Amino acid sequence: MQSRTLPYLLTLPSLFLAAIVIFWPVWDLIQISTHDVNRFGQLREFSGLANFTELFADPDFIAALWRTGLWTVLVVGGALLLSVPVAMILNMDFYGRGLARVIIMLPWAVSLTMTAVVWRWALSGESGMLNSALMKLGLISQNIQWLASAETAFPMQVLIGILVTVPFTTTIFLGGLSSIPDDLYEAAALEGATHFQQFREITFPLLKPFINIAIVLNTIYVFNSFPIIWVMTQGGPANSTDILVTHLYKLAFRIGKLGEASAVSLVMFAILLVFTMIYVRLAMREQRA
Amino acid sequence: MSLAKWTVGLLAGMSMLAFAAPADAGEVRVTVAEYSAKTGPYFEAVKKEFEAANPGITIKYEVVPWDVLLQKLTTDITAGTNADLSIIGTRWLIDFVQQGVAEPLDGYIKPEFKDRFIDTFLSPSIMDGHTYGLPIAASARAMYYNKELFEKAGIAKPPATWTELQEDARKIKAQGAFGFGLQGKEIETDVYYYYAMWSQGTEILNKDGTSGLGTPGALEAAKLYKSMIDEGLTEPGVTSNNREDVQNLFKQGKVGMMITAPFLSNQIKEEAPSLKYGVAAIPAGPTGARGTYGVTDSIIMFKNSKNKDEAWKLLDFLFTKEQRAKFTQGEGFLPVNKEEAKMDYYVNNADLAAFTALLPDARFAPVIPGWEEIAQITSDAMQKIYLGGDPEAGLKDAAAKANGVLKK
Repeated sequence: MQSRTLPYLLTLPSLFLAAIVIFWPVWDLIQISTHDVNRFGQLREFSGLANFTELFADPDFIAALWRTGLWTVLVVGGALLLSVPVAMILNMDFYGRGLARVIIMLPWAVSLTMTAVVWRWALSGESGMLNSALMKLGLISQNIQWLASAETAFPMQVLIGILVTVPFTTTIFLGGLSSIPDDLYEAAALEGATHFQQFREITFPLLKPFINIAIVLNTIYVFNSFPIIWVMTQGGPANSTDILVTHLYKLAFRIGKLGEASAVSLVMFAILLVFTMIYVRLAMREQRA
Repeated sequence: MSLAKWTVGLLAGMSMLAFAAPADAGEVRVTVAEYSAKTGPYFEAVKKEFEAANPGITIKYEVVPWDVLLQKLTTDITAGTNADLSIIGTRWLIDFVQQGVAEPLDGYIKPEFKDRFIDTFLSPSIMDGHTYGLPIAASARAMYYNKELFEKAGIAKPPATWTELQEDARKIKAQGAFGFGLQGKEIETDVYYYYAMWSQGTEILNKDGTSGLGTPGALEAAKLYKSMIDEGLTEPGVTSNNREDVQNLFKQGKVGMMITAPFLSNQIKEEAPSLKYGVAAIPAGPTGARGTYGVTDSIIMFKNSKNKDEAWKLLDFLFTKEQRAKFTQGEGFLPVNKEEAKMDYYVNNADLAAFTALLPDARFAPVIPGWEEIAQITSDAMQKIYLGGDPEAGLKDAAAKANGVLKK
């Protein structure tokens, strides 16, 4: 009897803490998003789902929704593809490995906003470093206006997103790689397995749980990532690089529609919750099988 | 041992934070917008002088960058932790008044005090006959031109009309510089478009209260800017240049003309002292109509302030001639105080004279709820047009959206 209630009792304090930190703000958001609310967050009458219907009738919101999906897939996918080889190289024993690891981790140590500010300068059309470098290399004959339109701005933002996501992802993979015993590779090599076969049959399967963790954590993080896009283009020109969180910020703090902004926030929360639940479910089933 | 010390220190720090929150009697908290690196030091000097003259009153500042000011005020007011006084954009004032956040100052204002102000700048802070704010900063826009580039291109004087401006821009382009600096990103992208629109005799709001964006004048103005972009008379990549970016190009001598605020003169003095430039009126349209943008920022008192009398004392002090002169000259704003405006500094300053001469043509942001949203709609529409979109369709769409906001 005692042994059955004890676990619950023991988790109760942390559950209580989680409730304060998570459920209370969500409850607050639900309140704001279902009411008519002034720009200072003071609630007026109950308005049901009016804020949500308004939101889904707004083409800018729908566009931002799709773009957020694209942004997340590209950044998370790109970071994963890049991080696996990087982690494998850093896991090998070579001279100067310590230094190489530090260099790869460096972007992580710099604040995201600062990284974005530096890139904004670097991508400036007339006085940016990237243009003058490309010019000196003879690759372009005319300055490219990187941030002037979404066609060039958004791909650059994705690339920077990948760059700042790689260190964290690599760290996870390095941890995974160091947990794979060397004898497996020795045995495989004895049997005549090529490097690619070793990767496919040993490294990849054993790294899979770590890849899953990297996907879930990065998706949550990138989906909500604000600084890169905000600093470089503020979601512009004409909302063409907006993702949900920059759209939310404009709604709330530029235009003062706190009700709709809270609705965006809840939609984002729901998307991430559903994604995480489905993904964890699938990943766990796979691991059990 | 050392870990325990750490923990104790941390806990002590946290508890101090927790207990420091309630305001003391006689403490005046002020949210200050950071206009430049000089803003913080100026207000610190005010604190020293004021506290020495008024024992028992202490001042506490929160200096916030402009970009996040509205966000900070919104969250502070929502949480009920706002200061006693705050600087706000006067265009936000209507929201503060309608939601009952701003305290009317009529009870404190004596005729002598009111008489200190130049009416043009005080009137935007008056709503329904009540004064809700005092103009802490005032500014207008005029056209800067690069005298050296003008000379090289063989242009004798700054353009008086937009047609002349186009011709001059062509000549400057032939010299390898950018003719006209056009701002296409972030704050005041919409305002940069209004300069051309006002010169067509079109206002932001028509007489019947609908949006002016749907009128032929608005279309002419958009077509003018678009044709200049297409002809290569502006800097390339208009939509990637905010106000500071265009100003930087001007300081580097790469741009022939641009429209901006008086503070550029101060920046040039410090960063590019060898640049030869002049300040002229904003070009007029075919009928001679022209308009500049007038802006004031107001300092307001919050209704829930517990130390209103003390806060008023500070306001009274801030709006004396000496204090005003120090602040205005440091930041590069226009004088709002009548006596201050008579000082030699302003009377003998050719740059500032060009700005004050434009004041009769100044338009202030319309006092309507939802103004920020309409400004955003206009900026978005202009960005689309600058990127190659059809002006007619873009403006029609924007006008419909703006009218939707106006109807609410």
